Amino acid sequence: MLNLIKTVIHKLYILVLMAFTVWYGFFLYPVIFGHSADHSVEALVVESTERAGSFLDEAHLAEESMFDAALKEQGSTATTDLGYMVIEEQYVQGHFHHVGMKVESDDSNLCLRCHGAVPHDKAKSIRAFLNMHAFYVACETCHIQPKEDAEAWAFRWYDKAEGNIISNPPGLTSLDKSMYGNYGAKIAPGFLKSDGNFRFLNGAKERAFVAKYLKEKDVLSSTQQSKMKKIIHRNINDKPLLCDGCHTADKEKAYLPFVQLGYPNRRMHDLTSTEVVGMIEKYQEFYMPKFLLPGDGWHEETAEGEE
Amino acid sequence: MGLLVVNTVHRDMTRWHSANAFLGEKSKYALLLVLLVSVFCASFWSAPVQAEDELNCVLCHKFRGLSRIDEEGNFRLFYINENLFMKGPHKRINCMDCHRDIEKIPHDPAKKVNCTTECHLLEPSGKKKFSHKPVAKILEKSVHGRFDEDGKPKEYQEDYPTCKSCHEQPLYRPLSFFKGVSSGVSRRGLGRCKTCHQTGDFAEDFYNHVTSRLQKTRESKEIVEICAKCHEDPAFQKRHGLDNVVASYKDTYHYKAIRFGSDRTADCVDCHIVYGESVHSVESMDSPTSATYKANIAQTCRNAECHHEAGEGIASYRVHVDYNNKEKNPMEYYMLKFFSGLMAAVLYFFIVVIFLELLRRLFPNFSFNSAERSGHAVTKPTTEGGE
Amino acid sequence: MQVYPKINYRGGKRYFFRFSLVQRIQHIVLFTCVITLSLTGFPLRYHDQSWAEPLYNFMGGIDVAPWIHRGMGSVLLGLFVFHTGYWLYLFFKHRVGRLIRDDELTVGNFFKEFFSMEMIPTAQDGRDIVAMFKHLLYFTNKPPQYNRISWKEKFDYFAPYWGIPILGPAGAALWWRDEFTQIFPGWLLNAFYIMHTDEALLAALFIFFVHWYNVHYAPEKFPLGTVFLTGYLSEADMIHEHYAEYTETMKAEGLEHEIKLQGHH
Repeated sequence: MLNLIKTVIHKLYILVLMAFTVWYGFFLYPVIFGHSADHSVEALVVESTERAGSFLDEAHLAEESMFDAALKEQGSTATTDLGYMVIEEQYVQGHFHHVGMKVESDDSNLCLRCHGAVPHDKAKSIRAFLNMHAFYVACETCHIQPKEDAEAWAFRWYDKAEGNIISNPPGLTSLDKSMYGNYGAKIAPGFLKSDGNFRFLNGAKERAFVAKYLKEKDVLSSTQQSKMKKIIHRNINDKPLLCDGCHTADKEKAYLPFVQLGYPNRRMHDLTSTEVVGMIEKYQEFYMPKFLLPGDGWHEETAEGEE
Repeated sequence: MGLLVVNTVHRDMTRWHSANAFLGEKSKYALLLVLLVSVFCASFWSAPVQAEDELNCVLCHKFRGLSRIDEEGNFRLFYINENLFMKGPHKRINCMDCHRDIEKIPHDPAKKVNCTTECHLLEPSGKKKFSHKPVAKILEKSVHGRFDEDGKPKEYQEDYPTCKSCHEQPLYRPLSFFKGVSSGVSRRGLGRCKTCHQTGDFAEDFYNHVTSRLQKTRESKEIVEICAKCHEDPAFQKRHGLDNVVASYKDTYHYKAIRFGSDRTADCVDCHIVYGESVHSVESMDSPTSATYKANIAQTCRNAECHHEAGEGIASYRVHVDYNNKEKNPMEYYMLKFFSGLMAAVLYFFIVVIFLELLRRLFPNFSFNSAERSGHAVTKPTTEGGE
Repeated sequence: MQVYPKINYRGGKRYFFRFSLVQRIQHIVLFTCVITLSLTGFPLRYHDQSWAEPLYNFMGGIDVAPWIHRGMGSVLLGLFVFHTGYWLYLFFKHRVGRLIRDDELTVGNFFKEFFSMEMIPTAQDGRDIVAMFKHLLYFTNKPPQYNRISWKEKFDYFAPYWGIPILGPAGAALWWRDEFTQIFPGWLLNAFYIMHTDEALLAALFIFFVHWYNVHYAPEKFPLGTVFLTGYLSEADMIHEHYAEYTETMKAEGLEHEIKLQGHH
C-alpha cells in the first residue's frame, strides 16, 4: 500500500515536472525574443490610420480621438514631489493651477448615469457655478421640489461612493479652504417616514429602475424609450430652484436647512452674506434676466439653439 | 556683516562636512546660498507684494466643483487650491496680473494667459519689469520653437509646446542646509534672515526662492514623463520622423537608476542642453552648437557633473539604441540576434532532453528492440558507452 | 592535502567521493555570487515589471544594490582567477610533476596529459550523447553509462567558465566607463552592455532550470541534492549518473562482487 502511494506520488511528480518543462518552454520564448517590444511603434500607427480609412471622415476622426483622450485621461493622477511633501492630484489636461487632491466621483446618483458629473451648460453665465453646486448637491435637490400642497422635503447627506445616508460631513466645519465643497458627500432630499426613518427621494428603488432602463434600453423601441424617459423625468420641475432660494439674506427663508445639514454659523453666514447675495444681485443686473429662468431657457435652447 | 555670516556658517559646515563627506557637493551650495543672501541683503528685493486677492477671487474659486465642459469638449476646472498657490513664486502676484482680461466681477469666460506679459514685479538684477519673455525667446529659437530659421511656421504647429505643455504653476522645493541637507525650509537659516528682514514674508520667500534654485526643480522622473508626453506618442513620432527615443532611453542604466529613485543619473535635459544653458534651449543634434552634436558629445558627458574623467571615446557611445533596427544599430542588432540564438539553442535543447528524460522515467523498460523488451531490462557493467 | 576515501560509509550505506572541500567552497562562493548578482541585476533589466522595484529595494535600492553588484562581481572575477590558478596548480603538481619525475616530459606528453584531464570534453562524451538519445527515444532501454564527469557536468562547468570572462570584464568596463573611454571607443560599451545582460540572462535561465533540474528537481533528488555540501554521492545516484565510474571504483576497492546492476531503481 505504502509502495503504491509512493509510486503514485513519484509518477505525479514526474508529470508535474513535465508540465513545468513545457510551461518553461513557452515562458522562455518572449524572454529570449521579446526584447524591446515597446518599440513597436509602426503597428500602433497603422492601426489608427486603418481605422480612419475605413468609415470615419476627418471630423469623425477628431471626435473619435477626443473620445480616446477622455478615456485615457479618466481617473489619471499626477504626482509632484517637492521633497518635503508629495502632491498626488487629479490630472486635468491643460490645468495650470494645482488641484492638490484626488477627487471621488459620484457613482451613486442616478441622474449622473446619463447626464454626467458636469451637466450644466445652457445658462452660459452661471454654468460653472451650477456645476460647482452639483459637486456637493444632488440634482434632485434643485430640480425636484415638492408640489405646492405637499409637505416640504427633509434633507440629508449621502456618500458619493455608495449613496448611503451619512452624518453631516466633518469637512463642513474645517477652516481649510481646500475642504470647501469637497466632502465626498452630497445633499439630497427625501421624506421623513412616520417611524422616524429617512428615505431619499431617489433611493435604492429609483436607482435600480434607472439601471434596469439603461441595461434594457436597446431592446426597447424608440417610442417606448421616449415613454420611459417621460416617466423617469416626470417629477422634474419646469423651473429649478434658483440661487436666491438658498442664498438669501433672510436665513429663515432659505430652501435648505443649513443648520440641520451641519453648516456652522460661520459658513452659513458666508452663504447668506452680502458678499454672496450681493454678487447674485449684481449678476441679475449684469446679465440678461433670462438666466434666472433657466427652466424656461433650457427647453427652448434644446429646440432652437442659442437665442 | 556678510563676511561674518559666511564665517559662522562655514564653521558649521566643516563640522558636518567631515561627518558627511559625500554631501560635499551640497555644502558648496550652502556656501553659495549664504554668499548670495549676504550680497542681496545689501541691495534690494522689490517691495514684498503679497497676493492680496483684492477682489476675493477665491470666494468662488475655492470651490472644488467650479467647472464646465468647454466647446472643444475639454473639462475646464476653475478651482484654485489656495494652500498650494501660496507655496510657489506666483504667490507674490495677483490673479489679475496674469488674467488681464478680467476687469469686473462677475466676469466673462477668461482668455488664455500670456506668460510673456510684463508684470508689475521688478526684476531685482536690472530693476526692469519682470516677464517670462526671455524664456519664450529661448524656446522660440530652440528645436521646440514654432518657426523655422526663415520665420516660417513649421508643419504641425499644434505639436509644438507652449509654456503650459510642460509647466504647471511652479512650486518651491526648498532645501535646508543645517546639520546636513534635507528638504524643506530650515527654521534656523530663516531665523538668521528674519533678525534683520522682518517685513512680511520677505525672508521666507527669498529663502524658498534661492534654495529651490540650488537644485533640480523637478525630479528626473518627472522630466522624463514630461518629454514622454509628446515623444512617446507613436503618431507624433511618425509626423516628425523621430525615433522612439523614450523607449530607447528607458533601456539605459541612466533611466533605470532614475526609475528606482536615484537622482544622480542623466535625464533628458542633462544631455540635451549645453551645460549651463537654459533647459528651454534644446537643439537638434544636427546643429553644431547642440549639446548632442557629434563633436560636442564628449564635452556634454564630461560637463554635466557626471563622467568627469571620460575620454573622447565616450562620444561614440550610443544612448538611444533601437535593437530592432538593422540599419541604424547593426552591431546591437546582430549581437542581440546572436545571443538570442545562443540562448534559444542551449535552453530549448536542454528542455527537450529533460522532457524526454522525464517521459522515459514513466516507461523505464520500454524499447523498440524486441529482444531487450523480452529479456532483462538491465545492463552488464561496461566502461564503454551504452551499447 | 587531505586524502578523501573513495567510498565512505554512513548508516550502512555507501557514499562515493565527488568533490573536495576546496572545490565545495569554490562552488558555494560561485553560487552565492551568482544569486546575489542576479537579484541585484535583473530588477534593472526588467525594471518595468511589478516585481522589480520591491525586489530591488529589498536588495538595498539604487544607493546600495549597485555596490553589492559590483562587489560580488569582483569576488566572482577573483574566484575565476583563483580557480584557474587552482587547476593549473593541480595540473602541474600531479601530472606535469609526474612526467618530470618519470623523465617523460615532452610536448606530446604534456598535451596528452592536458587533454586527459577529467573536465576536458572527449570523444567518449559524443558517444555518451548518442547513447543517451538512443535511450531517450526508446531504441534501447539501457541507460547511458557516464564516467566520473558526464557531458552534462562538463557543460555545467564550462558555462560559467566561459560566462564569467564575458560577463566580468564587460561589467568592469561599464563600472569604470570613464577610464575605459580614455582608451577605447564608447560603442564598445554598447556591445558590453548586451554581452553583460544577455549572457547573464542565459546563465540565470540555464541554472534555474537545467542545472537545478539535474541536481535538485530530478525525481530522485527532490527537494535537495546534497552532494554540493557533503562532497559524497549516494550509491543509487552513482549508479544512475556515473555507472562507469561506479563499477571502476567498486573494482578498485575490491568490491567487485557487490556491484549492483543499472536499470531498475
